[in-house]
Amino acid sequence: MLRAELRKILPYRTVWVILLLYVLLLAGFVAVGGSVTVNGQQFGDTLYAFPALWSRLAYVASYFNLLLGILLIILITDEFQFRTFRQQVIDGRSVAGLVQGKLAVSGLLALYGVLAVLGVGLFFGFTRSPDTVGRAAETVGAVLLYGVQALGYLAVAALVGFLLRKSGLAFLAFLLYAWILEPLLRLTTPDDIDRYFPVKIFDSLTPTPGQELLNTVTGPSSALLPTEAAPLALVYIALFWALSYLVLRNRDL
Amino acid sequence: MSILQLDNLSKRYGGTTALRGLSLQVEAGSVYGLLGPNGSGKTTTLGLALGVLRADGGEVRWFGQPISSQSKRRVGALLETPNFFPYLSARQNLLLAADVKRAAPATVDAALDLAGLTARQHDAFRGFSLGMKQRLALASTLLGSPDVLVLDEPTNGLDPQGIAEVRELIQRLAAQGKTIIIASHLLDEIEKVCTHVAVLQRGELRAAGPVSSILAATDRVLLRLDADIAPATLLHALGQLPWVTEVRPETGGGHSAVLAPGHTPAELNRALFASGVVLAGLEMRQRSLEAQFLELTK
Repeated sequence: MLRAELRKILPYRTVWVILLLYVLLLAGFVAVGGSVTVNGQQFGDTLYAFPALWSRLAYVASYFNLLLGILLIILITDEFQFRTFRQQVIDGRSVAGLVQGKLAVSGLLALYGVLAVLGVGLFFGFTRSPDTVGRAAETVGAVLLYGVQALGYLAVAALVGFLLRKSGLAFLAFLLYAWILEPLLRLTTPDDIDRYFPVKIFDSLTPTPGQELLNTVTGPSSALLPTEAAPLALVYIALFWALSYLVLRNRDL
Repeated sequence: MSILQLDNLSKRYGGTTALRGLSLQVEAGSVYGLLGPNGSGKTTTLGLALGVLRADGGEVRWFGQPISSQSKRRVGALLETPNFFPYLSARQNLLLAADVKRAAPATVDAALDLAGLTARQHDAFRGFSLGMKQRLALASTLLGSPDVLVLDEPTNGLDPQGIAEVRELIQRLAAQGKTIIIASHLLDEIEKVCTHVAVLQRGELRAAGPVSSILAATDRVLLRLDADIAPATLLHALGQLPWVTEVRPETGGGHSAVLAPGHTPAELNRALFASGVVLAGLEMRQRSLEAQFLELTK
């Protein structure tokens, strides 16, 4: 199954362009981060000091999940457009097999995200703050939580792709939901409920750096701790993929 | 053995009924033609049979069992259009199809050769002509050497030579004992290759059976008299025979009629001779499938 998915992906230039863009944007963002000035003080190389670097990087990378999501939407809606889902079912693949194939692709994309964050982190850690490298392993779990978050955004993207079938509509729905619709819904929902919304749960996995400091100013955040959010995120991921399967199973191809 | 059995299949698209209670049975080794005008339900029937459309009612059985991944791998099918990834080459597309069908990757070379695309195997599918795309799709259906082929308008986009090649291919595969189900509106093609035929119209089955029986049911007998015998004599004699119907004059001279099942031209000749009518000519005119099709779908 994975081999068939790789046969589709590896020769596809769009995939490489988006993956390259992801790593370039992430590295670029991190590279200029050190020269940002706040209150007349430059962050400088302290920004790249372990162990805090991993959670900072995970937070920055969380913004680029949308790129991975858009890539998965392209890969899913392409199959509707080219009628290749239909042909694969004719040729002997089950509907569950089609969804599992894309689930495997989302796993690969999340793994790519994790490796990219690790690679970018190690590069900047070694070059800008080499004396802290000894502490690199202490908080590397933050990158794994970022991986779960990437899987979460990819599960939303997959559901939208399977549901809407057309790339333009699916991009719009994905971005609108993640950036506008759910935040608006959360505004009108009590705090003790809104922290369980899916995108909020996913975002809780990579909290804003310095959140503790912010809490002292604005009051405690309603968000769950990353370790509390992780099992719920996995439940949402399973739910979204199950819904994707149901959508595909109950429709004509 | 029954290869494919469709039992009381129904399908609606919104308020439109595309298929109404269709039942069909395709026997092993037959070349089964599915005929019908555009929108008659041919592709819907095949889509339901191949498991890509959800039926609103009825049942599909392949090899006596409900449809499954195993049964699908014994069937090579081309439905509507050639469905490939445009950015992949012909070879990459066939390797992917072979993976899904669990066919040996080595069979891809033979398939490319069969499609006449060996020289262009590394070119992207998007750059192919319609005929090349159709040939690639046909070659893909043969990967893994399936027992059954389902071909929906297989000669679409092909030039006359390509059409003849597809016809030869179908005949060759049928001679190997493969069962072939072919949907087409090209009646001539169906008539040349099929052993059985089903005629659909507006989602309903109008007729089904061996091509010979569908055609023979309405064969006409052409009767010619010598010039010195008045046609009225013939018409009078025919009027006495209750198993002769639809008597009508033919444009080229003479008359034609339809015999009831179980009666032969020899019997007619004998009966007319006994009535004193001597025929100068008597011939069976086999009706073309086209004429029969038009009659059935009137």
